[in-house]
Amino acid sequence: MNFLNKIIAALKAHPGRQAFCIQDTFYTYSQLFSRVASIQSKINENCPGEQNVGIVINDDIETYASILALLFLGKTYIPVHPGYPSDRVGQILEQGSIKYLLSKKEVAYNGAETIVTGGYTPGSGIAPVPPEFAFGNTNAYILFTSGSTGVPKGVPITYHNLDSFVSAFDALGYGATEQDRFLQMFELTFDLSVMSYLVPLCHGACVYTIPDNGMKFMSIYNVLVKHNITFALMVPSVLANLRPYFEEIDLQDMRVSLFCGEALYKDVVTEWMACVPNARVENVYGPTEATIFCLTYQINPGQITDYNGIVAIGAPMAGMGAILADEHNKQLPDGERGELCLHGDQLTPGYLDPEKTKLAFFEVDGIRYYRTGDISFRNEAGDFIYCGRVDHQVKIQGFRVELSEVEFHLRAITGSSNVVALATSNANGLTQIDVIFEGEKADTEPVMDALKTKVPTYMLPAQIHFVTTFPLNTSGKTDRKALQKMIVQTI
Amino acid sequence: MEDQEILSQLNTIIGGAVRKKDLLLTPETTAKDVPGWDSLTHMIIIDSIEKHFKVKFKLNEIMNFKNVGDTIACLQTKGLK
Repeated sequence: MNFLNKIIAALKAHPGRQAFCIQDTFYTYSQLFSRVASIQSKINENCPGEQNVGIVINDDIETYASILALLFLGKTYIPVHPGYPSDRVGQILEQGSIKYLLSKKEVAYNGAETIVTGGYTPGSGIAPVPPEFAFGNTNAYILFTSGSTGVPKGVPITYHNLDSFVSAFDALGYGATEQDRFLQMFELTFDLSVMSYLVPLCHGACVYTIPDNGMKFMSIYNVLVKHNITFALMVPSVLANLRPYFEEIDLQDMRVSLFCGEALYKDVVTEWMACVPNARVENVYGPTEATIFCLTYQINPGQITDYNGIVAIGAPMAGMGAILADEHNKQLPDGERGELCLHGDQLTPGYLDPEKTKLAFFEVDGIRYYRTGDISFRNEAGDFIYCGRVDHQVKIQGFRVELSEVEFHLRAITGSSNVVALATSNANGLTQIDVIFEGEKADTEPVMDALKTKVPTYMLPAQIHFVTTFPLNTSGKTDRKALQKMIVQTI
Repeated sequence: MEDQEILSQLNTIIGGAVRKKDLLLTPETTAKDVPGWDSLTHMIIIDSIEKHFKVKFKLNEIMNFKNVGDTIACLQTKGLK
């Protein structure tokens, strides 16, 4: 059964069960699908022929109903964050060929017409459901990640990819049921959100969202405690922030606690396990290009495999495979370090930009591989262990950031060619971006203000430094490692 | 310690965290009123306040900080000298 039919089966079996809890308001499956039907009629009225439709994302039921309305019509949803700079939204609208945006309220974006999803009338009825959905290789959604040349990179994920993910997820044996209460802590531009709303809906469970304003880590803790969450996928940053208070945390109802999106540290997760004494705790791994996540590692206290304190990323899920390759696409034996390359049913058909696809995908013996950019090795137990990156991509609260994209915008803003963005750790051990300019100290406020108009908040530097002359390495290039040491000494 | 004195010290701590030297907090100021006081900075601010005043907040106390005045009131319960 595909994922859409699973959701329909859940709706039919449990129309009166809660599907969403959003800012303390509950919505049943029946209420959710009344909204889905209402939004579908608006889509059919306004843009029946459009394949790609944008959604202005907010923490409200209309946003989730809009996603389902599009999925059940076999269309492609593209989340648009209302807080993103207009330049970036413009690039997303253009690359995604978006002419229509579903939004609770009227919005003004150049070139796209708003279909207002608010003002729903109760009693619109449940959406008509064809006996079997088979949208296969049609795109279900397109997400945009950081691009090194200053332009966001569009990653399409098909209905087949999503079906494969849901089947592989169920095969992991977490045993999700309608009794579960799932945390949904992610912005909908981030693909971990897709697991956090889609899997519960496939099982008739309830999704508990986090408000998109306020103090996120506090809100997460509040929802975990207040609603006795049983199933939570989180980024490790949450643990880093809550760690000083672990002694006060006792989540007896938590059955499954998954971590993804960043390096998970052995010492932190070991302490966390005492906060969730009844939970199966796992580190899961996967890039957006391979649909949410595709490797899993179950964490057993006292037997945690790690490298430099970072927990192993485990083995591929059903339908997926992973190899280690050198720069010539040659497979390396177990034990040797190489670039982790993924293949299988969850792999995107390729980026919106075919040139970018050529750089990141390759084919050997009829199998298509994606180069993740992650350096890894496989141990004797068959688990992959993450060792670092081949490039300058970093994760900030789980979001992928190409440091070269930050540098690109800063060069354009300041006209200075000598600017370097680096990842450092803040006082709480969280990754942040530091920027270093070559030259004398200057006022950074206008630069920051200009950068805010180009990139999302998570890509903004936490610190800006000035170094009179950049150190050079033996090749005559800027020595990034030396710069890193210099700023660590000054923090 | 007087509320005004705590407020003045919080002004320095929070101003430093959000890189606004001319920040002027009042007891009614909330994080939303201060550019740069986001979810991530919040935890750094809490950590800095704890270190500066040599106190330790409970999670439930932090969750009830709706504005600067709540933080001052909570600090006053910690017996600051």
